[in-house]
Amino acid sequence: MRCVVCIKQVPSTTKVKLDPVTKTIIRDARQSVVNPFDAYAIEEAVRVKEKTNGSVSVLSMGIPATERLLRDAVARGADRALLLSDRAFAGADTLATSYTLSLGIRRLGAFDLIFCGKMAVDGDTAQIGPELAETLGIPHVTDVTEILELGEKEIKVRRATDEGYEILKVTLPALLCVVKDINMPRMPSIAGIRYSQAAPFEVLGAEALSADIARTGLDGSPTQVVHTFTPERAGECVQIDGDCKTQAVKMLGLIAAETKTAEGGN
Amino acid sequence: MSQLIRKYSDDYAEYMRDESRTTGYAETISFPKTEEDVREILGALAPSKTSITVQAARTGLAAGAVPFGGHAMNIVRMNRVLGLRKGENGLFYVRVQPGVILSQLKKDIEEKRFDTKGWSSESLAALAEFEAASEQFFPTDPTETSACIGGIVACNASGARSYLYKSARGHISGVRLMLSDGGIIALRRGCVFAKGRTLELPKENGGTLIVPLPSYQMPATKNASGYYVADDMDAIDLIIGSDGTLGIMTEIELELLPLPAAIWGVSTFFDSEKKAIHFVQKMREKVSNVAAIEYFDVGAINILRDQKKTNAAFAQLPDVESWAACCVYTELHCHGEESALEKLYEIGVCIAESGGDENKTWVARNARDLEQLQFFRHAVPESTNMMIDKRRQIDPAITKLGADMSVPDEYLEDVVALYRAGLEEYGLESAIWGHIGDNHLHVNILPRDGADFKKGKELYAKWARVITDMGGAVSAEHGVGKIKAPFLEVMYGREHIIEMAKMKYAFDPGFIFGRGNMFPADVQEEVQL
Ligand SMILES: Cc1cc2nc3c(=O)[nH]c(=O)nc-3n(C[C@H](O)[C@H](O)[C@H](O)COP(=O)(O)OP(=O)(O)OC[C@H]3O[C@@H](n4cnc5c(N)ncnc54)[C@H](O)[C@@H]3O)c2cc1C
Repeated sequence: MRCVVCIKQVPSTTKVKLDPVTKTIIRDARQSVVNPFDAYAIEEAVRVKEKTNGSVSVLSMGIPATERLLRDAVARGADRALLLSDRAFAGADTLATSYTLSLGIRRLGAFDLIFCGKMAVDGDTAQIGPELAETLGIPHVTDVTEILELGEKEIKVRRATDEGYEILKVTLPALLCVVKDINMPRMPSIAGIRYSQAAPFEVLGAEALSADIARTGLDGSPTQVVHTFTPERAGECVQIDGDCKTQAVKMLGLIAAETKTAEGGN
Repeated sequence: MSQLIRKYSDDYAEYMRDESRTTGYAETISFPKTEEDVREILGALAPSKTSITVQAARTGLAAGAVPFGGHAMNIVRMNRVLGLRKGENGLFYVRVQPGVILSQLKKDIEEKRFDTKGWSSESLAALAEFEAASEQFFPTDPTETSACIGGIVACNASGARSYLYKSARGHISGVRLMLSDGGIIALRRGCVFAKGRTLELPKENGGTLIVPLPSYQMPATKNASGYYVADDMDAIDLIIGSDGTLGIMTEIELELLPLPAAIWGVSTFFDSEKKAIHFVQKMREKVSNVAAIEYFDVGAINILRDQKKTNAAFAQLPDVESWAACCVYTELHCHGEESALEKLYEIGVCIAESGGDENKTWVARNARDLEQLQFFRHAVPESTNMMIDKRRQIDPAITKLGADMSVPDEYLEDVVALYRAGLEEYGLESAIWGHIGDNHLHVNILPRDGADFKKGKELYAKWARVITDMGGAVSAEHGVGKIKAPFLEVMYGREHIIEMAKMKYAFDPGFIFGRGNMFPADVQEEVQL
């Protein structure tokens, strides 16, 4: 089975820092990681490849430094990597991104299954997978927790829902957005890393993809981010010591003081 | 009696134990928050000459924090970061109370965010420089991140990365030690040195403590057995690793280092222990920038395999293939990814030369994968403890028996052979893991019943003697505490134990601190007479 995995470089979640002036995310190469959900997508594709004697291509739209993450995916079992990188792609919203990715996928040739992570943790939209499927005109399933059967023409998957789960049959080619329950991503081996460092690597820009640049990057993006900010945390934690009685008295005192301030404000 | 001192009740039962699973008892307990509180408590207890066991997070493995009577002083509420300074060498130094928890400190340093209430203007200025500087870290990592700095310093803990960074000692630059009379000895590294084997320690508010240092030579291996003593030594080194026996540390200053740009972990699986040992020897010879070389034998891996099946908390552990008989974890600390890659390939060559396979490795090059490997590493001792807890429900008298001995490099093969032969001869179940790069393996005997427990203790005493003959140490990182006190005598002999006790006497004439740690009870009488 011929698989494609779309991955994204995101800032390491615990360390997202916003530029105080421009309000954009400060992207520092060392702190950048593959979007956590995409790691599961890579693993699932590699498992399908192993089961079906197939292939895996990884695809990303991003800055040139994304090469590191694409090669890492090769170290984990992917066969081929393609990076879509061009100034004309910068500032893309989900619509422009899925258009650009669809061009990359067409360039990779015929495919059976496309894997995406459930969502990217920097934007949290979960729109790319479904939009990409629509752009390509193929069916998709979101929140996939397990591939139950892999047929030549169709597959059976389980997807998580708010109430429980659904089991769906989908005709191929199709796109799956996977969640973290689906597998346990493997780590690369030294041999895998050696292979990935020497593996061929392609980078394509707008021209090479024959992209309609009115549909890429900022120009192709109907969504505009007006303002980004870190919410202020107002709560303050107060520790109360002493035996039960002392603590109760102190707590009552605090409540009384709070009420007074609140009333004073009215 | 001071308000700070509480009478013991069952509410405090958990404070009578530590991770060695030893249970003690105390008449009273306290939770001071400040140096002044500590002084008040000492003052209140002085007339009754009550013994005092200082305890921090009680994660220690030698029962150092377990009180055997008297008063338990728990310092976990002394948990403030007090300030920061930048040294002339460009390094940052953070000053903390001893109850600061390692995981919290790591987080503060990583996020460069501290609770700065009460900080001096100098500290705030240093903080501004710290924020602008590259990422920093405190290199001591005893894997148990709920440990407190006070406990870590008192045990001179080491942990996985000590292959490169050595023990905590080298990263401690200042200590305030309160003596039984409430006086303070404040030491800064590089300021007070012994003359030969005598120390003159100035007390903060006048007076001098004359300390005769014991005459033994420490083994030339990783070592946390007994006091650190050497000719013309820096006085601060005596306090580090003193197991709560000299006084109470009320403040500690730690040295931070710039975080290496690339930290990569590699777990390599082998089908035989022999190949793994060869690999370790090759690594030591050929590869630089290695921060850790850690070992997990088949017993340890099997415990993990079982835990993974039965315990949901361990479900996320990666699967170890069934053929794997052991695993060596190595960690690279490099200034960039390119040099890390170069070193990684060198590791690959060492694997091949030792009969292993580069394909049978897990390489962690990002935080998520590293966390996985660290989780794996920490899950080994944790799941072993859980297993023993289960067995204790049937026979409460047994505990895990964990050896913490190290030998010089040339004895690695011999010491492993010694362990294997002993375990076989005594028919004991075991799991071996730990710091093989420093020839420092934790041999954990897992007694099935009281008879095993007795046999295990016998075996340890036997090992302690052979390891001493190899020029090794009976405790390489967990400290001596109560559990390893008998081995200390095997290692240094009675005469030196008496010298140590005489030295303790200079600090603590009433022998009130850490009773039962390091010394057998009769030594005290001998010295005080
Ligand atoms: C799962 C596990 C894995 C571990 N792995 C390692 C490892 O790889 N390497 C390693 O080195 N260690 C390891 N340890 C042990 C680790 O060193 C200890 O947990 C730690 O050093 C003790 O810290 P604590 O705060 O719990 O101290 P406690 O156990 O509370 O106390 C330890 C000793 O310090 C003394 N003490 C504490 N505070 C003070 C103070 N303010 N003044 C004077 N004395 C004081 C106590 O009296 C006691 O003797 C491990 C522990 C566990 C549970």
